[in-house]
Amino acid sequence: MSDKKIRVLMSKPGIDGHWRGGIVVSRALRDAGMEIIFGGFQNVKEIVESAIHEDVDVIGLSIHSGAHLAYTQQVIDLLKERGVLNDILILVGGVIPAQDFPKLKDIGVANVFGPGSMVSDIVEFIKERINK
Amino acid sequence: MFDEEYLKKIREKKEEWDKNFENAKERNVKFVTDSEIPIKRLYTPLDMKGNYLDKVNFPGVPPYTRGVYPTMYRGRVWTMRLFSGHGTPEETNKRWKFLYENGETGFSAAVDALTFNGIDPTNPDGAPEVGTSGVPLYCIDSLFALTEDIPIDKVSVALVVEPFTSAPVCAMYFNMAKMRGYDIKTLIGTTQNDILTMTVGYIPYKNVAPNHLLRLACDFIEWTVPMKNVPRWHPINFTGYNYREGGIDAVQELAFVFASACSHIDNLVERGWKAEDFVNRLAFHLAAHKDFFEEIAKYRAARRIWATLMKDRYNIQDPKSREFRFHVQTAGSSLTAQTPKVNIVRTAIQALEANLGGCQSLHTNSYDEAICLPSEEAALIALRTQQVISEETRITNTVDPLAGSYFIEWLTDEVEDRVLKYIDKIEKVGSIDKALSTGFLYKEMRDAFLKRRARIEKGEEIFLGVNKYPEPYDTCTDVFRTNESAIQIEVDRIKKLKERRDNAKLEKLLDQLRNVCEKEENVMPIIMEATKEGATVGEICNIYREIWGIWEPPLAI
Repeated sequence: MSDKKIRVLMSKPGIDGHWRGGIVVSRALRDAGMEIIFGGFQNVKEIVESAIHEDVDVIGLSIHSGAHLAYTQQVIDLLKERGVLNDILILVGGVIPAQDFPKLKDIGVANVFGPGSMVSDIVEFIKERINK
Repeated sequence: MFDEEYLKKIREKKEEWDKNFENAKERNVKFVTDSEIPIKRLYTPLDMKGNYLDKVNFPGVPPYTRGVYPTMYRGRVWTMRLFSGHGTPEETNKRWKFLYENGETGFSAAVDALTFNGIDPTNPDGAPEVGTSGVPLYCIDSLFALTEDIPIDKVSVALVVEPFTSAPVCAMYFNMAKMRGYDIKTLIGTTQNDILTMTVGYIPYKNVAPNHLLRLACDFIEWTVPMKNVPRWHPINFTGYNYREGGIDAVQELAFVFASACSHIDNLVERGWKAEDFVNRLAFHLAAHKDFFEEIAKYRAARRIWATLMKDRYNIQDPKSREFRFHVQTAGSSLTAQTPKVNIVRTAIQALEANLGGCQSLHTNSYDEAICLPSEEAALIALRTQQVISEETRITNTVDPLAGSYFIEWLTDEVEDRVLKYIDKIEKVGSIDKALSTGFLYKEMRDAFLKRRARIEKGEEIFLGVNKYPEPYDTCTDVFRTNESAIQIEVDRIKKLKERRDNAKLEKLLDQLRNVCEKEENVMPIIMEATKEGATVGEICNIYREIWGIWEPPLAI
């Protein structure tokens, strides 16, 4: 274990403005010692560019619009195209129906944190998966 | 409210009772309200302050603590108004008719994120969200489709759009009504037009700065009511609900609402109007949250605070203009995806708060709303919940049935005191646009939701099925999916409109709008003309962006 911090990009793909979830999780990850890049609203290209530019370990996509399948697929396609998909842990959080968890995992999302998630579980999951 | 001699006697007996039961066992929990007001074991006449006629009085007369109408639900029950919209205007129209046939008595349009943010569906940044969180209303044709065969002259319609898009969307609605042959002077309905919803309730996507939003909100109020273009319309609905959902408490909810309302009145008074010219059309929208009695006390306190503010601050003489009329929505944030059926119970209890608190209009959430937009079945249960209260429980038999409860009256006073202090705190920062642009309200919101989150993580605020008696989040609830073809349908709708309209004429009108924005004149007259000629919401909002610039809210983690 090095003392290098885990770097997380927290992003809201699209234009829906439910902001609380992204901030709550960002704050908890920061309190747990991680480095947060808060992207706010970003389009798919901006998400991938800042993930590469900031050399992040994790991308958190906060989606409450119901358009989670479309946006996540677009982000993953572009990460793949840029050849960095395997270097980054992709997490999705928000109002996501349980039926969509397997669909998101099939396309490459490491975990989905739906309604009622505890932020402590998100912190724990990231720490388990990223050994730094 | 009691004779001094008799109070003395009660005090003596109370001291005796306290002493006798000093060591009576109580559970080891904090007895506080959701907004952390400490609650005593017992309330008695000793807790009643002031006198009945000044503070409580009769319904239908100031300070309206007991209700704005003398008969309340004996005269007419509250309007059952479900916030509803999905997929396309045609599909939303179908849902509206379904609810209307089942006894709904008012309509409310839930729009999608593109309509909220003035983005046309041709913009790839927002295209996947067409119709996913509400109905897309991008041009006048959409308004025709939304209201087809709906008696908009008899049933009131709430258009839930905020200052950034309220002018174009409502202008489209008014134009549609005119073309259908209605006199818009007789139209009834509400525009939300709430500056705080799309700033601290949700973050705005490429909107303009709060000082411009405040101006747009006031332009709309000015044009509809004091200028008498649509005089029966409620041109604004101060929507505490939306920021309450973000985590603030009942006291903050009312204070945000009143501070905002006063800033709008001040703005219109600066334009030369008298407050009496329009305050009777200002409306409010509050939450019904988890703390049963605190919410009821909140509604009662709200009526008294508003009536007093209108008299003391704006010297409004007509009592009718000091009435606080409000819509309520049950708390979406109290629902869980883990226990969808229990959400029906939660919603019913919250609806009862609103009714015991004397609301004028109510939305009840559907049990599946922690997971998706409401299915038809879930929306019907939500409507039936209100009908059980109105048709079966007989709570409508008398006005303000909880008045005179030592606890309710004490809590009403307590909420009132705390709200007045919090209004001062906001107004020290300045008018509502300053409270936004300085970041003050963002910080208050953030602190509130982080505190609430900590309470949830520690199990101090309980969500059954989540942090107590946990249940898995499973796939038992059918997920209502919005129409995947909505993007194409809406892109085609705009394409057809653009082929049909006189683009040269429209360009001239949009240039005039640029001028109006630069000169800071009222935007409504020119937006009425432009939307009639087929301007889209996105085209209007792009002119705002071009003239005033895009604003980034001062968010902090």
